[in-house]
Amino acid sequence: MNKLRLIIAREYMSIVGRKSFIFMTLGMPLLFVLIGAVPVLLAYLNDKGSDTQQIAVIDETGRYAAALHSDDMYSFVALRGDTVTDAREFYDKSNGSIDAIVIIPIDVDSTGVVNIYSEGTITPALVSTLRSALTDTIEAAHLTAMGIPDIQQMIEKAHVDVDVRAIKWSEAGDEQASSTEAAMGLGLMLSLITYMFVLMYGAMIMNSVIEEKTNRIVEVVVSSCRPFQLMLGKIIGVGLVGLTQMAIWIILLAIVGTVAGGALGWTGAQAPSPDAIAQVQDMSAMQAIMQQVMSINYVPIVLNFILYFIGGYLLYSSLFAGLGSAVDQPSDSSQFTTPVILIMIIAFYAGMACMENPSGPMAVWCSIIPFTSPVVMMIRLPFGVPIWQLLLSLGLLFGTALAITWLAARIYRRGILHYGKKASFADLFKWIK
Amino acid sequence: MAYLDINNVVKRYEGHTALAGVSMQVEQGCIYGLLGPNGAGKSTLIRIINRILAADEGSVTLNGKQMTDDDITHIGYLPEERGLYKKMKVGDHIVYLGRLKGMTKADAVASMHWWLDRFDLKEWENKKVENLSKGMQQKVQFIGTVIHRPPLLIFDEPFSGFDPVNAEQLKVEILALRDQGSTILFSTHNMSSVEEVCQQITLLNHAQVVLNGSVDEVKQQHKKNIIAVETPDSIEPNDALFTLLPSDPVKHDTRIKLAQGVQVRDAIAWLNEHYVLTGFTEVLPSMNEIFIETVKSQNAPQNNE
Repeated sequence: MNKLRLIIAREYMSIVGRKSFIFMTLGMPLLFVLIGAVPVLLAYLNDKGSDTQQIAVIDETGRYAAALHSDDMYSFVALRGDTVTDAREFYDKSNGSIDAIVIIPIDVDSTGVVNIYSEGTITPALVSTLRSALTDTIEAAHLTAMGIPDIQQMIEKAHVDVDVRAIKWSEAGDEQASSTEAAMGLGLMLSLITYMFVLMYGAMIMNSVIEEKTNRIVEVVVSSCRPFQLMLGKIIGVGLVGLTQMAIWIILLAIVGTVAGGALGWTGAQAPSPDAIAQVQDMSAMQAIMQQVMSINYVPIVLNFILYFIGGYLLYSSLFAGLGSAVDQPSDSSQFTTPVILIMIIAFYAGMACMENPSGPMAVWCSIIPFTSPVVMMIRLPFGVPIWQLLLSLGLLFGTALAITWLAARIYRRGILHYGKKASFADLFKWIK
Repeated sequence: MAYLDINNVVKRYEGHTALAGVSMQVEQGCIYGLLGPNGAGKSTLIRIINRILAADEGSVTLNGKQMTDDDITHIGYLPEERGLYKKMKVGDHIVYLGRLKGMTKADAVASMHWWLDRFDLKEWENKKVENLSKGMQQKVQFIGTVIHRPPLLIFDEPFSGFDPVNAEQLKVEILALRDQGSTILFSTHNMSSVEEVCQQITLLNHAQVVLNGSVDEVKQQHKKNIIAVETPDSIEPNDALFTLLPSDPVKHDTRIKLAQGVQVRDAIAWLNEHYVLTGFTEVLPSMNEIFIETVKSQNAPQNNE
């Protein structure tokens, strides 16, 4: 037990003390921020960098040009229909001071077609700006033309957004809003966490095993402890590294969230600005989501998440440790890791597919089979899973995880002392015996 | 009773037998050479003693008791293929190995300082292993092996890769450990080091013991009845007593091989009568010659198959 603790401590310190760990831990969130920020930044620069485009509007109807409001991007200049007989000539004469010419034809009410001309590029943004502004205005004009008083108000009154609420009957007979979106979001998140964690730290264990082997330190170490202790120490040590890294990320996220929240005024303390009023609609939607999020029963979900997380991690990490022991160099490892990663990817896609139908046969089977259950069950869990399925799945997962750990330990015991000829799957089976 | 008693140990792998009933007895406080060509089974036997591998049959007793996993704290093992954690600090590394062998932290730290001092590595304690030269890393490996002062030390090719100066220092340390009461099992190809330090040897070939005993005994058993004679005269052959061998080009002595059944003193008496003798010595085979001869004669029948 004492030796196991020593091995865990060494493994943990050796990874956490590394520059690459610090870099990864701080760099990952930065990378995510960058990935999120770059498109916004680029769009911003795009807006700022380009001059306001001069758009000439020839409104043959004389009624609709006023609907086009100039802003930072576009400056609309209305030209009287009769002042320009030839748009092309006018465009050429402007010597580039006009970027495009919009012609609203006299028959726009019946055809609904507006043309825009330019020698340069006509951006989709301009097209959509024109479309939405003109559609609303012309539609409103049509309604007014019908001569029914208060028609706008009548339409608004008649407008309805149907909100379909899924109500789940529990066995006791009472009703309960089943908060589908929030549950799906939570399930997806937990599933992703399990998936990422197993892949990232599984690979880390494998590298650690291979490193000890190529370093030739492993024979010295196993002359002081049992190979199984060394393997287990690695799995636990790397697992603790993973939890440390996640804890740091969560803390960073909390800090960034609080700071950003404060900066954007989500505290809701100040008087509503005109922009904020526009957001009131969104806010109430947010509140609805929050209510859903609150309504989920977290205790069983978190409890099961911990169990599946441990089971899944043990299963895959011992698999990675066993396979890592069979190779001399990281570059040789792909022949063994490919099948494992393939299974993980299948599990992930099965999980995605199960979101459509969390009680369907595929979801049920994949959440019981041990290799896919840690990922898939997380998706199903918020929707409610029969207790027998849960117990069967957990029993199978832990049974398999222990069996795999035992098998991996047998492979590991032989593998770490195997040098030279590249081991094959057939060799691994021989080592198990 | 022998300190380390290996009794009829068998180890089979799929496809071949690594040890086919090997027995050997290592007395306390001696340096014991385990010899043999590559693939003879030395490393397998050493791993069994270290309890890295389990024997299929036979027993290993230490100090009269069947060995258990707990006994590995009494062993210091320097494998042939040895390495270090490159990113660890020298001091931490040595302490880690000592604590794995069951030392308390304080003991391990004290012992680490003592040994680093002895090998002039004091200022390297807080440097990472990867910054050390190869020779220094080998010293650190050696310290990692002996830090817990084990009563049984097992060295697999300890001198391989050492320069002569460091090899000499290592030899001095090994002899000092022997003098302090450690029993040392020594696996090597380097026959000159065997003659210098080992008292007893076992020669393994094809998974079996082919030679066993003290270095002196083995040499006596394998002597070829050759005498190096120092004389200014030119000796003529005498078929009844001896034949002449080509003389050693370095020592300029005359070598004679005694005929079957002839005693050394009879030949010397005859030579003394007829020539001026300034000296003579019986030539004993080197361990190297014995090794090659024994292994070759073993392998010869197999080559004819």
